[in-house]
Parts: sequence; structure tokens; C-alpha cells
Amino acid sequence: MTNRLEVNLVRFVHLLRLMGLRIGISEVIDALQALQEVDLAEREAVRTALQAALVKRPAEQAVFAQAFARFFASPEARAALEQEYAEKVAQQQEMLAQAAEDLQFHGAPLALSDEEKFIYASIPPSAQQRMREYIQRTAEGKRVESNFRPVLESMLRGSLAFWRKSLRTELDQLLIPLTDDEELNALLSSMEEQPEAAADALLTEDMRNIAEKDLPQARALLQKLARQLVTKIERRYRQGQRRQQLDVRKTIRHNMRYGGSLFKLRYRSHRQQKPQLLLLCDVSGSMARYASFVLQFIYSMHSVVSSIEGFVFAEDLERVTDYFQYGGDFAETMVEIMNRSQEWGRGTELATALQSLRTKYPHLLTGQTYLLIVSDTKTMKVTQAVQELAEIKRMVKDVVWLNTLPAAEWQDHSSVKAFQELVRMYPCNTLLDLEQVMRQKIIT
Amino acid sequence: MEITLANLRRAFREDGYITDEEVLLTVYLALKLQKPLLIEGEPGVGKTELAKVLARIFQTTLIRLQCYEGLDENKALYEWNYQKQLLKIQLSKDAGCPAELEEDIFAPDYLLARPLLQAIQAEEKVVLLIDEVDKADEEFEAFLFEVLSDFQVSVPELGTLKARQIPIVLLTSNNERELSDGLKRRCLYLYLTYPAVEREVEIIRARIPDISEKLAWQLARAVAQIREQQSIRKKPSIAETLDWARALLTLGKDSLDETTVNQTLNLLLKRKADQDVFTEQVGARRLVMASQDEKR
Repeated sequence: MTNRLEVNLVRFVHLLRLMGLRIGISEVIDALQALQEVDLAEREAVRTALQAALVKRPAEQAVFAQAFARFFASPEARAALEQEYAEKVAQQQEMLAQAAEDLQFHGAPLALSDEEKFIYASIPPSAQQRMREYIQRTAEGKRVESNFRPVLESMLRGSLAFWRKSLRTELDQLLIPLTDDEELNALLSSMEEQPEAAADALLTEDMRNIAEKDLPQARALLQKLARQLVTKIERRYRQGQRRQQLDVRKTIRHNMRYGGSLFKLRYRSHRQQKPQLLLLCDVSGSMARYASFVLQFIYSMHSVVSSIEGFVFAEDLERVTDYFQYGGDFAETMVEIMNRSQEWGRGTELATALQSLRTKYPHLLTGQTYLLIVSDTKTMKVTQAVQELAEIKRMVKDVVWLNTLPAAEWQDHSSVKAFQELVRMYPCNTLLDLEQVMRQKIIT
Repeated sequence: MEITLANLRRAFREDGYITDEEVLLTVYLALKLQKPLLIEGEPGVGKTELAKVLARIFQTTLIRLQCYEGLDENKALYEWNYQKQLLKIQLSKDAGCPAELEEDIFAPDYLLARPLLQAIQAEEKVVLLIDEVDKADEEFEAFLFEVLSDFQVSVPELGTLKARQIPIVLLTSNNERELSDGLKRRCLYLYLTYPAVEREVEIIRARIPDISEKLAWQLARAVAQIREQQSIRKKPSIAETLDWARALLTLGKDSLDETTVNQTLNLLLKRKADQDVFTEQVGARRLVMASQDEKR
């Protein structure tokens, strides 16, 4: 009986881990001990005991509730889930077989992964048709060579990767969970995404990939993060008297009244200075989404910085500070900027933008200014941009670069290396990155 | 009091702390397993009150450590009584016997016990409340590990001090920042939400016996309606609901009406921005209607 309980508990924990919960061994032991204190015949008591020991984040509670309901379901309900899963697997096998048949070059299957074939099977029939025609045209040309195959495979992979992004939500629901435990697979495939967990996931999603429908939620989340950070920083400003280093002069002076014995110690209080931020956001093509998030975040923090100057740039520079002066709805302000801006969505020329900043707005580049650049470093005339940046760096307190390229891709871009030698650069492609970099690196 | 679920349920009720079975069971498990209990939830849902209730029902001392940014071990654990040490040095010098001085001035007599050490050294089983732990620095969290998992603390000059009685430890957090996995691993976890309408009616009637059932229901429904508004930042707490109920009783009201809502709104919503949101999105008229809606 005990053994059965332990086995079930371990399998349940395994399921929760697969669903993204971080559960350590000590928590499993706690759960087991907790189960020994409750009546196992009482479902609610068992659920509460497991929840208290295993779930440590509010967003995980809905995930846990769903997993518990599925895992500890009646045998009939479990059988129905397994049946549903078996049908899903059969359907997917059929789709894969059809895809393998379609994606052939000169009678031999193309080297594509199951996932890629599955994407092919899920895209609209018209797109499938176009791909098949493309393969056919490549195969039937006049001077077809055998080395066309890898080129063709690579082309198809690129196209399927594009579809993977567009169909992300649908594919996530369809893809078969990859564990070697069929029972757990059946349970996993039946889970629905929980809104709270989805909100959590938005934090670590690349900002560019946040779907249109999730934008209001992402903005609300960002607002919440900013609010939390502002509260934290404001509290710190108020705590100017916090104990720091011993102030020897003040201590001696204060203790003269005790005949020179150091009876009461005096500490140096650290005066906090609010930083001045100058924000330079790349709004060329792929960068616009990042810029809108960063602008919203920074302007939400206006109470803990002494001033914010906002600029967007693509081929040249454009000042957007005035749009944010009077509060108002952020989404509306952004739409207004995007409509009026000459720069939104154009190509990138950081060198020109930096030169304009230096020549037209020299009064903003002071010894108190932090220059924040939000860009993926992909710009024309990198060498000139580096020179301009070096020039500006001498005029301001510090330059911090929030790079929207994922850190893993930095090594593939020479421009990253060029700018990195000059300024502090941090990855910033998720909402969480943005919050962390502001909290830990800028307003410290 | 012997720790059983039934005893705990009765004690909570007798103390006027009305809560769900889930909360009760989680507290019971924390007591039985002698594990710290981490309680998270919106401000005003009764996190701190839970610790006070436990102290009352076990008739023991509540030792409270209020966390804030910059809290360090001098404030949380112990500090040497510098002034007393200095006096001792002066006296010894005057008496001309400084030989055993060093041993003397680093003895327990010169130790100022702060909340954590007080809880560890207490002769009886106390309730230790580490309040708003999310406001402390991350380094401080790591410092708590030793206390929370082994119920002991290390004082370099004195060695390791083990708890005489394992205290009942409760930590609260308003979720202002994510706590570390290490801290969470050492605790059982409880997420407190605002009570459901029926539960809040029970709370109001338990705390304010003079109130009519009708008014209690109206208040609970009205407060639930306000809490549903996402744009209201500081939602009314249970204590504020009780204040509101007391105020209405003092004003001799037996039911909610628009004028009373407008006159007493500031007891529930204490930020101007929230009051504006309320006026814009709900308004006194709709609130009164919602408070009379028996389907809620």
C-alpha cells in the first residue's frame, strides 16, 4: 500500500515537472509526510496536502489543479483519456506518413525531422501545394544535380521554420509529448494551457513572438513589473539613513560628550541620486515591437528617475519625449507615435542617428546621463557607428546597450562584438530580461 | 492543545478566525510536520493575522520580524551590546584586571538577542512571524536557510545555538518579488485569496455580532464587486470590510444605499486613483444593486 502510494506520488511529481513545475526531492519527501497525516480516502485533503508541499507559486496552482484532476481521475475517465490519446497518435502518424510521401526528391525522402514533417502536415493545403510544386520544379529542371538535395532541404527547413512561428499556438497543442511513458503522454496531451501559467510564460517569451492577442496581457504584466520595481526603488530612496560605513569624524565629534569614549557610533549615509535616462530605441522593421515594450517600461518608471528623454531611430533620429509628457493611455500614445513617425519600420543607420543626437541635442549629453540603446546591433556603417558611439560615451555618464538578440546568437554577429568592446551590453529580448536589466544594471 | 485537525478547527472558530478547510489543513500540516509555512497573497487577506491567531490559540508569545530592504543579521539575529562591552572595558581598566576581559565581553550576557535568536532561545514553543519577507534582500533570504531548515543559528564567538523548542514559523510575502527556490523548498506553501462572499459574511458576523444578517450580506457582496475590478490597485482588505461594517453600524444603517456608499467609500478605497476608477467603472448605484443581488 505504502509502496503504491510512493510510486503514485513519484509519477505525479514527474507529470508536474513535465508541466513546468520546479519540484525538488525535499518537497517530494514533504509531500509524502503530509500524505501520512491526512485521510487518504478524502480527495480534497489529499489535494491540499500535495498542493501545500509541491506548489510554491500562485501561477502554478491552476496547472496543479488540472494535473491533479486528470491524474487522480476515475479509471473510466483515465481510459477515455488514453483512448483519445491513441486516436490522436494514430492521426498524427497518418499525417507524418502523408508528409513523408509528399516531401520526396527523385523518389527518396528528404532529410527532414518528424517535427518539420509535422509542420508541413499542419500548414494550409495551398501552402503545401506550393511546396510540392517547388520540389517538383527543382526535380524536373534541365541540369538537375545531386547536390540540389541539401539546398532544397535547407530551403524547405527555412520555410517550415517560418510556418512554425506563425502556427505556434496550434502546433503546441498538436505536438505529441515526448516521454517514454504512454500513460503520462496521454495525460499531458489532454492538458489545456492555464491563463495564469500562460501569463507567466509571457515573461520569458521573446517579445517579438508575443502574439497580437496576448499584447494587452503582456502590457499589463509589464506595468505590474514596473510598478513593483518603482515601489522597491522608492523605498530605497527613502532609506537614505541605512547603515553603511562607519563615519569616523562624525563618531568622534558626537562622542566628545562622553569624554572621548566611542559610546555611540555614527554611520555614513549614502545619498541616492536619481539617474537621468536618455533612451534611444531602434524602431526599424523587426525592432518595433521591442521598442514599444521598452518605451512603456521606462516611462512607467518616471517617478524614480529624474528625467527621461526618449528618441526612436531607424535611418535617422526622432524625439518622442513630448508624447509621453502628459500620461494618457500608453497603447494610444504608441499608435500616435507610429502613425506620425517618419522612422518607424525603416532600415537602420545608427551612425546617422548618433551623429544627430550629438550635434542637435548636445545639452542632453551630460555627466549625469545614462544613455540606453535598445537595438539588435544590425545597422549599416558599423565602423562609423562605433566611432560616433565612442564620441558620445565620453560625454555621458555611461552607455548601456540592451541587445534584443538572444545571447546565444551574439557570437554570429560581428556588429555585436564591435559595440560590445565599447559599452556594457545585456541581452534583453524577454519582458523578464528587461525588468532584470533595469533592476540590476541600471537603477541599482 | 493537542494538534489535531478538529482541535485546530474549533480553536480557530473560537478565536473568530473564520477560514476555509484548505487553509486549516495546510496550517495543520505545517504544525504536524514542524515545517515553516510560507503564506503569500494580496495585502489584507489575513496573512499576518494567521500568525497572531496561532499565538493566541497556543497561548504563546508571538515574535515578529518585520522585513525591509537592508535588514541584516544585526537586526534579525543578534548584536553585541557595544555600550555594555565598553563600560565593562572601562570598569576593568579602572579595577586593573583586564586579563579575562576578552572572554568576558563575548559572553551571552553581552548579546542582544533579536527576533530570530529570541525564537531559538525561547524556553516555550513560540510563534515566529517573519513578515513581508519579499521586502528583505535576496542575501537575507539565504541567511534564513539555516534557521528554517535546522532551527539553529551560528554565532561565531559562541558556536551553534540550537532551538530549545522548535518554533512555529510563518513567513508572509506580498509577492512583490519572486522568492528563491531555496527558501520555498524549506517551507510548506499557502496562497491566501480574498474570502468568498459567504465566508466573508461569516467573518463579519463573527467579529461584529450586532450586525444584521442582511447588512452583512450586502457588505460582503459589495466588497466582492469592488475587488473584481482589475483596475483598482489597492483592493479592500478584510480589515477594511470590518471597519466599513462598524462605521455603518455606528451611523445606524441597516442597509446600503447610494448616499451612504458615497459618504463612506474612503473607508474601503484609500487611494484617490482607485476612488476615481470606482466612480467611473462601478459607481454607488451599481454597487448597491450588486449588493442586493442574491445570486452573487
